[in-house]
Amino acid sequence: MSNSAKIIIVLTVITLFSGGVLALLDNFTAPKIKAHQEEVKNRALRAALPDNDRVQEVTKGDYRFYAAYRGDEMVALAFEASGGGYQSELRLMVGVTPDFSTITGAVILEQVETPGLGTKIQEDPANKENPGWFMGQFTGLRTEPEISYVKNEEPGNDHEVRAITGATISSKAVVNILNEHIKKAEAAWNE
Amino acid sequence: MTEKKNDIKETQDPAKTEASAEKQAKKEVPAEKQEKKGASAEKPKAKPKPKKNPRAKLFKSERMTIVAPAPHAKGKQSVPRIMYTVIIALLPAVAASIFFFGTRAMVTLMVAVFSAMVAEFACNKIMKTGVTIDDGSAILTGLLLAMTLPPTFPVAATALGAVIAIVFGKQVFGGLGANIFNPALIGRAFLQASFPVKITTWTLPAFASSSAYFDIATSKAVDTVSGATPLGLWKFEGIGTHLKPLLFGNIGGCIGETSALALLAGGIVLLILKYADWRIPLSYIGTVFLFSGALWLIDPSRYPDPLFMILSGGLILGAFFMATDMVTSPVTPLGTWIYGIGMGVMLVVIRLWGGLPEGVMYSILFMNGLVPLLNRWTRPKYFGEIQEESKKK
Amino acid sequence: MKEKPAIQEFIKGLWDENPVLVQLLGLCPTLAVTVSAENGLAMGVAATFVLVCSSFLVSLLRNVIPNQVRIASYIVIIATFVTIADRFLAAYTPEISKSLGPFIPLIIVNCMILGRQEAFASKNKLGRSLLDALGMGAGFTLALLVLSSVREVLGSGTWFGMDIMWASFSTWKVMSLPPGAFLTLGCMIAAANWINRRRQT
Repeated sequence: MSNSAKIIIVLTVITLFSGGVLALLDNFTAPKIKAHQEEVKNRALRAALPDNDRVQEVTKGDYRFYAAYRGDEMVALAFEASGGGYQSELRLMVGVTPDFSTITGAVILEQVETPGLGTKIQEDPANKENPGWFMGQFTGLRTEPEISYVKNEEPGNDHEVRAITGATISSKAVVNILNEHIKKAEAAWNE
Repeated sequence: MTEKKNDIKETQDPAKTEASAEKQAKKEVPAEKQEKKGASAEKPKAKPKPKKNPRAKLFKSERMTIVAPAPHAKGKQSVPRIMYTVIIALLPAVAASIFFFGTRAMVTLMVAVFSAMVAEFACNKIMKTGVTIDDGSAILTGLLLAMTLPPTFPVAATALGAVIAIVFGKQVFGGLGANIFNPALIGRAFLQASFPVKITTWTLPAFASSSAYFDIATSKAVDTVSGATPLGLWKFEGIGTHLKPLLFGNIGGCIGETSALALLAGGIVLLILKYADWRIPLSYIGTVFLFSGALWLIDPSRYPDPLFMILSGGLILGAFFMATDMVTSPVTPLGTWIYGIGMGVMLVVIRLWGGLPEGVMYSILFMNGLVPLLNRWTRPKYFGEIQEESKKK
Repeated sequence: MKEKPAIQEFIKGLWDENPVLVQLLGLCPTLAVTVSAENGLAMGVAATFVLVCSSFLVSLLRNVIPNQVRIASYIVIIATFVTIADRFLAAYTPEISKSLGPFIPLIIVNCMILGRQEAFASKNKLGRSLLDALGMGAGFTLALLVLSSVREVLGSGTWFGMDIMWASFSTWKVMSLPPGAFLTLGCMIAAANWINRRRQT
C-alpha cells in the first residue's frame, strides 16, 4: 500500500469515527440543551410579565414581542432590549403594559460586567435578603417622561431608580437601554 | 527614586569627570548587582570614602555597573540622602493634609509607612539581600502611597496596599533600581482595582464650609462628611470648583492631592536641588495645560478650563513626586520630554473621555512601562557609531 | 535506558513536570476561567477527560497514524472529545457551561493536550500513556483548583459558593479580575520554584 493511500485511509477513518460519535452524542444532548434554553426564556418571561393565561409571540419591526393575555385581554408585552454596559453587552428582557407607560418587570438575560461591581445589577451579594434589588426596582416603574436614576438616596419619583454605588455606569446603562428600547418598541408595535 | 548618585568622590578617570557633571550624574543607574561585567573597570571608583552612611558599602562595591549615556561623573549623593530629601520636601503637603483632614489622615500615613518598612524588611530577609529599610525608599513609597488614598481608607487595606507596593512593585523585580513601575502607584493601582468603592469614598476637610474664607462648591458640606472630589463633581455632576480652595487644599480628595501650594513648595525644592528633572513636571503639566486649554477654547461648556485641570486631582503630586522617580523615568533629555508629553496626553484623555474621573496614576504607570523603550530610542549616538553600523551591513 | 517504574509516569505530572507550574502549558484557560473554585475544578476535569481519552486513542493508533499527518489526526481526535465534553456540560450543567464560555471549546488548542500526544502518547505503550495523561490531568486540575480557590476566597470571600471569610472581610475585587489571575499564578510559580530549589540543596 502506498504511503499516500495510507494517509488518506487513516484520516478518513478517524474523521468518520469522530463524525459518527458526535452525531450520536448530538442525538441525546441537543433536546436537553434546547429545553434548557426554553427554560431560561420562560423564566425571564415569568419575571417580566404579570400573571397570564397564555403568551403569544408576535414579530413586529425589529422586535419579537411576547404578548401576555388574561382571557382575551392583553395585559402586557415583553421584548428583548440590549445595549452596551460598562464593559460588555447587556441583554435584558423587559415587560411593559400594552400602552408602554409602565414596566411590568425587567430581568437581565446576559451580562459580563466587572465581577463584584457591575454584576450587582443582576445580583448584589451585599444585600442578602434581596440580591436582585436593582432590577426589582423597575417593576411598576413609570416610563414617562423617562426613566432616570438617583445616587446615594432613595428615589422620590415613580420614574426613578436608585443607582448602585460604585457601579453607576452599569446602572446608567440599564436605564439608557430601557429608555431607548421602550420608545423604539412602542413605535414598532404601533406601526 | 534610586541610587543614581553615589557616595563616592570623583577619584576616577579624569576624562570622565568633565562636562555636564551635575546633569549626568543623576542619570547613572547601577544595574543589578549580579552583573559583574565591567567590574574591573569600575573598580578605581570604589575607593572607600569615610563612612558617611551605612549604605555606602552596598553601592561602592565592585559589583556595581553604571548604565547611562557617557560622559559619566560621580556626585556626592547617596540613596538615603535623596530619599530623605524627597521625604522632607513632601512634609509641607503632609502637614497640610493633617491640618485639613485631622488625625485620621495621620493614621493612614503612619500605617502605610510602617507597613512598607515591615514588608521591605521581610523581603530583605527572605531574599537574603542586605537590609535596606534605612535607605528611606520604603518610607517614601509608604508616604507616597498614603498620599494617594482617601483619608478614611480602611487601615487594613492601607497596610495591604503598602505591602503590595513593596513586594510586587519593587522587590520582585530585584529591589530598588530594578523596578519598572513606580512602587507606590502599583500599590495604589492594586487598591483601586480591589476596593473601587472605598477608594472613591471621599471625606471633605474637617471644616470644609465653616470658614467663609474658603468658598467651596459643595453646599452639602455642612451636614455631611462624605463628598466628591472636584474632578468627580465635574465629571458626574457637572459642578465646577473654585480655584482658591483647590490651591489651598480645602477640598475633598486624597490625602496628598488637596493642597496644590504645599505640594508646589516641596516640588520646587526638589527641582532646585535637581533631585527631580525639571523637564518632567514642565512637559507633563504643560501638555495638560495646552491640550485641555485647546479643548476648552473649542467648547468651554463641555470641557473644564485648563487651570482647573492642573490644580484638581493628583496632577501636582504625580508630576513632581511620582513621575520624577529616578528609577522609572527616562535618562535622556529627549526621552524625558516624550515621557512627560505622553503622560499629559494620557491624563487628559482619561479624565475627559475615560470611565474614571482621575487618570494621573494610569498615565504615569503607562509611561513607566515605555521608559526602557524611550531610553533605547533616544540614546545619544557616540562618535563613529553610524559608520560602524553601516560597516556591519 | 532503564525503564522507569510505570507509576512514575503518573507521579511526575503532579509536581515535577506539573503542566501549569513547571511546563507553563495550557495557561489560557488557567488564567481565564479560574474566577471560582467551581469553574477551576470543572475546567480541570474537562481537560483531564479530553487528555485521557485522546491519549488512549493516540497511543492505540500510534503505529497506524502516518507521520506526515500525525498532528492533523491528533487535532481531530482531540476536537472530538472536546466537543463531547462541551455538549455534555451544556446539557447537564448549563450554569457551569455558561460561565466557562468559549474556554471549553478552546481546550482543542490547549498546548498541554497536544503536547502530551506529541511528546508521550505517540511514543509509549497504552498503559504508560494513560498513566501519563492521568498524572498530567491531575496536576493540571490541582493547580487550577489551588489558583481558583485563592482567587475565589480573596476575590469573592467564598469557596465553592460557601461563605468562609469573616463578616467584615472586604473582598479584593482585583482577584476576580484578570490581574488577579496573573498575580496568583506568578506567586504559585515562585513558590514552586522556591520549594524545588530548597529540595535540591
